[in-house]
Amino acid sequence: MPVLDSGRPSTVPPKQPTEADLALLGSAQSAELAVRDLYISALTGGNFSDVQISVLELFRDHHTAYAQALNGILGKASTNERNESLVGQFEVQVKNSSTALEALRSLENILVATHTVIVGSLAGLDATNLMASILMTEARHAAVFGSAPNLNVSIALDDVAESLVSPISGGG
Amino acid sequence: MNSPAMNQKDPSRFSRRDLLRIGGIGLISTTILAACSKNDNTAEDGIASIGTIPPSSPLPKVEVTDVVLLRTAASVESNAIDMYNTVLDAGYFTGDFASASNIARRFRDDHVAHVAEINALVVSLGGTAFECANAHVDSLAIQPAIDLIATKDNPDVALDAVSLVHAVETLVAQMHQGFVGQLDDPKLRGSIIHIGQNDVRHVVVLAQLLNPGLSGVQTIADATTGISNVVAVPSAFGGLAIIRPSFGPPNADGLKAVVPMETPSLNAMVYEYVSC
Repeated sequence: MPVLDSGRPSTVPPKQPTEADLALLGSAQSAELAVRDLYISALTGGNFSDVQISVLELFRDHHTAYAQALNGILGKASTNERNESLVGQFEVQVKNSSTALEALRSLENILVATHTVIVGSLAGLDATNLMASILMTEARHAAVFGSAPNLNVSIALDDVAESLVSPISGGG
Repeated sequence: MNSPAMNQKDPSRFSRRDLLRIGGIGLISTTILAACSKNDNTAEDGIASIGTIPPSSPLPKVEVTDVVLLRTAASVESNAIDMYNTVLDAGYFTGDFASASNIARRFRDDHVAHVAEINALVVSLGGTAFECANAHVDSLAIQPAIDLIATKDNPDVALDAVSLVHAVETLVAQMHQGFVGQLDDPKLRGSIIHIGQNDVRHVVVLAQLLNPGLSGVQTIADATTGISNVVAVPSAFGGLAIIRPSFGPPNADGLKAVVPMETPSLNAMVYEYVSC
């Protein structure tokens, strides 16, 4: 067995977000607020069973928690404004019960794609860890729409979506 | 009144206190002499020993670099491949879980792609690709579980097999999430979490096999045991806690043996000197 030495290079990444990180994290928060509001619209306008409502409320609460967690990292840089473009793109679909669940799956996949680009661009480790933990649960949300109530593995694994942000060249 | 003879010490006799004093002085003297002397039978760390001391070979100095983390990630993805091959070859997916065979083949193929993807990153960084399973994870997590599943009088072989693949997929997904915060290069973090989000979708599908429908999405404690069921979305944020699946024949209290599974730490990393 080797000597257990976790020695890392002396140039370790920063813990706190950089200026460039804050812009990306602001975009992430705007997207989370938009998706939270779209869940609220779906719950208000749709006709769902009790168990469906319970799951949609759970996911809505998760997005609220993500926006709040990002608020903690952003501090004064937080705008707390939702992404209006995303809301406009999906509002009609989520209010219709027959298209709502598919629209919400698309939204979760957009968040996963967006946050993947953000994780691949952030310099600060605290925000990176937070975004990774958010992204992993949003991938679960998207897979739920493909696996419950009727299991469809292909839909559950489908992660094709366009990111809302562009990667930063060179990362960080 | 004491006689003078009683107060005079008899040089030929020692009291118990005298003996202890003399013994202590002797012990201290011996220790000082041993510490000051040179002895061929003294190891480098100063501990005296009997016999010939074999020459020591220094252990390699290792660092947890991005290459080491990626090689470790590839090794644990290979664990998943081997596990799927084992349970498929054994024909464990039967009865209510017969449909798991096709799902398992699909997921195994995903892991084959993940290993190739991660090893391509390793090679691009100048490292050596690692295409074997992680021995530590195999010996401490997967083999004990498989041994329990294969126990002769296990009444829940198929259920346990699905529990195993669910647990190992959870382990793989958690590993990727955990490694994101350890990788230095942000681009590598993006690549690894992209693979992790695919693995965590496997977890959801397998959780749905164990606890189907929308009622199996969020955590609800079992009314009898108080233990939370396996669910698709156990928490708001992706967790890194130890996974505690249970396998094998139940004991007299109806409980199965728990096999704790945790993501690789320093003693399970595939350092650059490690080869298959």
